Amino acid sequence: MAHLRRIVAKLRNLAANKRAEEELAREVSSHLTLLADEFESRGMAPEEARRAARRAYGGVEQVKQSHRDERSVLWMEQTIQDLRYGLRTLSKSPGFTVTAVLTLGLGIGACTAIFSLLNAVLIRSLPYGDPSRLVYLFTPNRQFKLPDEVFGPAYADLYDLKRASHSFEDMTAFGQSVFNLASPGVAERVSAARVDGDFFQTFQSTPELGREISADDNQLGHEKVAVISHALWQSMFGSTADVLHRSLLLDGKSYQIIGVMPQGFEYPHSTDLAYGESQYKTTQVWIPLALTPQQTSDRDNSSGNAVARLKPGVSVAQAQAEMAAMMVRLDKLHQMKGWGALIKNFVDSTVGHVRSLLWLLLGAVAIVLLIASGNAANLLLARAAGRVRELGVRVALGAGRSRIVRQLITESLLIGLAAGAIGILFAYLFLGILPLFNPGNIPRLNEASLDMRVLLFTIAVSLLTSMLTGVLPALAVSRINLTDFLAATGSRSVASAHTRVQSALIVVESALVMVLLASAGLLIRSYVNVESVDTGFSQSTVTVNIGADPRYSHPQAVEFFRSLFQRLQALPGVETVGAVSSLPLSNSEDLRMFSVDGYPNQISQLAEARWVTPNYFSAMKIPLVAGRLFTADEKLASHTIIINQSFARRYFAGRNPIGGRVSRQDDHTQWSSVIGVIGDVRNTSLEEPAEPQIYEPDMEFGGGYIAIRSSLPAKSLASSVHTILHSLDPNLAAGDIQTMRDLESEASARRRFQTSLLSVFAGIALFLALVGLYGLMAYSVSRRTREVGIRMALGAERGDVLLLVLKKAALLLALGLVSGLVASWFATRAMQAFLFGVGRHDPITTLAVCALLALSGLLAAIIPARRAASMDPMQALRTE
Amino acid sequence: MPIQILQGTLDLMILRTLATMGPQHAYGIASRLQQVSEDALNLNQGTIYPALVRIEQRGWTRGSWSKTENGREAKYYAITRAGLKALEEETERWRQMSGVVEKLLAEEQ
Repeated sequence: MAHLRRIVAKLRNLAANKRAEEELAREVSSHLTLLADEFESRGMAPEEARRAARRAYGGVEQVKQSHRDERSVLWMEQTIQDLRYGLRTLSKSPGFTVTAVLTLGLGIGACTAIFSLLNAVLIRSLPYGDPSRLVYLFTPNRQFKLPDEVFGPAYADLYDLKRASHSFEDMTAFGQSVFNLASPGVAERVSAARVDGDFFQTFQSTPELGREISADDNQLGHEKVAVISHALWQSMFGSTADVLHRSLLLDGKSYQIIGVMPQGFEYPHSTDLAYGESQYKTTQVWIPLALTPQQTSDRDNSSGNAVARLKPGVSVAQAQAEMAAMMVRLDKLHQMKGWGALIKNFVDSTVGHVRSLLWLLLGAVAIVLLIASGNAANLLLARAAGRVRELGVRVALGAGRSRIVRQLITESLLIGLAAGAIGILFAYLFLGILPLFNPGNIPRLNEASLDMRVLLFTIAVSLLTSMLTGVLPALAVSRINLTDFLAATGSRSVASAHTRVQSALIVVESALVMVLLASAGLLIRSYVNVESVDTGFSQSTVTVNIGADPRYSHPQAVEFFRSLFQRLQALPGVETVGAVSSLPLSNSEDLRMFSVDGYPNQISQLAEARWVTPNYFSAMKIPLVAGRLFTADEKLASHTIIINQSFARRYFAGRNPIGGRVSRQDDHTQWSSVIGVIGDVRNTSLEEPAEPQIYEPDMEFGGGYIAIRSSLPAKSLASSVHTILHSLDPNLAAGDIQTMRDLESEASARRRFQTSLLSVFAGIALFLALVGLYGLMAYSVSRRTREVGIRMALGAERGDVLLLVLKKAALLLALGLVSGLVASWFATRAMQAFLFGVGRHDPITTLAVCALLALSGLLAAIIPARRAASMDPMQALRTE
Repeated sequence: MPIQILQGTLDLMILRTLATMGPQHAYGIASRLQQVSEDALNLNQGTIYPALVRIEQRGWTRGSWSKTENGREAKYYAITRAGLKALEEETERWRQMSGVVEKLLAEEQ
């Protein structure tokens, strides 16, 4: 006990104890002065009198200490008293307590869950040393009118920058490749990074086993080594330690494993690089970049990706300035001019694109929490009104006002903390089902968990909501004064003031719900719009990515795919087998500059270029709009192409595209003639209209995407593909077997994620607000029992009473609707970027939301209204 | 021989003193206690401080700073209504208690 006492005393000293200490010192010194005065008056000398006074007083420090102990003991006693009293009163009204705790718990749970997402994605540090100093380097060339991030520096430029610049601690270049990874029995496609000797150093990441790829490994002839990911180590090698003596078979070539990266390091992810290899989510293998001398001195090809670590204290702007100055010099060495410099913050590039979404979600749950707090405050207010008598008696018995406020705050703290505990439970459940929603393109979403920071956040939110909910009732009660209370009407006047506050809270809640409902409504409409977009291709077509490895010469590869197509075509149920260099919605792109005969051509005009086998359009069910398709005996020498409708519209406006001529921009000697126009397909995303496309016939398909249209279920077709491929060559892998519907669904996953989350939150908010409205109406009916009785005794019909209650509810709802409309008008500005095919002031959404809120609000009010109407007037008059 | 103070009795004595003499500072209270007990209650004057803070925090007294007649500043304690009520109760309890003890002691002889 003495221990505890001292701890508490210390806590008190930390807090507001300074004043008490000062006063004590002042009092002691005054006491000593008075004593000394007394001794002096008895004839002592001043000095002697002071000593005598100290003797008579006793040990000053001892007295001060016992004073302190006494103070803290009382503080503790009162706190324990408050807690006990609070727990007792709360357990005496379990209905109230459970409702308040659950309401708040729901709000806190939603907040905690979304914060844990935010924490995993935005706040928790990336596992690359100090990630804030990492940057991407680009050398954009504005003549091409392409996004800046397309232009990684050429190796020669990059290594010149590395030698001469002073802003960077480390700098690395890397590229990406997809390999057939063969192991006994299975072959799979994996994404690999080809990295130079400074890659791991730049990311300040070291293998958990073995060593990283060094500059020596990048010497030609030493490059057949590989570092693998933790996940691959587990799945392929069963986490055995002798993995360092094993090797990997990548595209038929053997690589000695030299290291295993720790869990969490799978850079680059598909979300990291805007123009990277995006069909594989993570990188599983790192091998040396091993540049040839020609590549190292190449200035004319943009080489891939460059990441650098800034020196401590160097800002992005400073580094940008230095690099820009150096690029001015290096640009002169290029054949084509106009190469600039761009440095982008690494963390922003990685998570910047989801930041606004996460803040939007956090905003939504904050509204849910506000509504929940409003409800809890209303419950407390209603209860405080019922307790006016009890509290009045306590005031009359000499309880200080501050003591009563403290008591009420303690109660709301108890509710808040219990709600926090429930909220953590809710958040835990939510995180359990979150992976079902994962759109796959939010980095590290699956790492969301309830860590220390999230728990601290929850505690802070719980305390904050306790204060929010406790302060109104406490203020209301502290206004009780004795004369009011003693006057017979006291409790009534206090109560009516309460009801005004409660009504105002309900109005605010409905307005907040309006904002959420309107936002969710807009998102739902956008989602419906996206889903009903005509993609232009068949959804049931199954696609698979297969590539030959370097064991095959080109003629061998062509022969291999011919026999593969024959085997596939021969499967019962298969209608057509086609192939293409890159699929729609797969994020891979091949842009081409071109000239159109008879069109005012510009330097920067670009089209998406594709190589297709003659059956591709039929396999994808892309319709022919004009002309003809490629045939099986299409002659490459006849230089035929097919264009899409967008191309025809833009470059053959007002003329017949069939027979029109298109050439590569840099080579006007060779013209190709347009033989057909096919329908537009959604290519970059579901939400962007088609760009002009050029299709060339691929009569010697040697690897890429195969599209199969069949009447077979996708699963059984997939397993047939695996079997056939395995029988042809067990070292080749069939990657991403999926239907076009899967690709489409992946493309709309982000939208589904944000729409479903926001709708769920809007639903919760609506539910909470209705509960609040219902509660208030029920409460006011119970307070007006007597009034209703009198009205009925004076001849009011049941219908009149029903209307009386409903009118009040309708008034509150109407006020809420109007303020909600105003609030939504402004708040939906935050939604603008998330909408598709619908304006932010969409009248249909607004109307639907108003109707929903008004109807459900009246429904919630009708229960208490009917109760009022069915009252027995005699009984009603007898109450109170 | 100086007597020990029974637990809690100091609070009662201070309340009684304040009720009789009106607002008093700590020195005044301590001196009064010494005077009444004719020095049998051999307590250092500082000993009453914990009791002073206890009864003040219970709302039985209220403290305020003012000047003594000699112009010294001092904290004066005044008994409150709650304090008077407590004094009544405590006095009653003490009477019962001391009555019981007295009776027991008398029977023993």
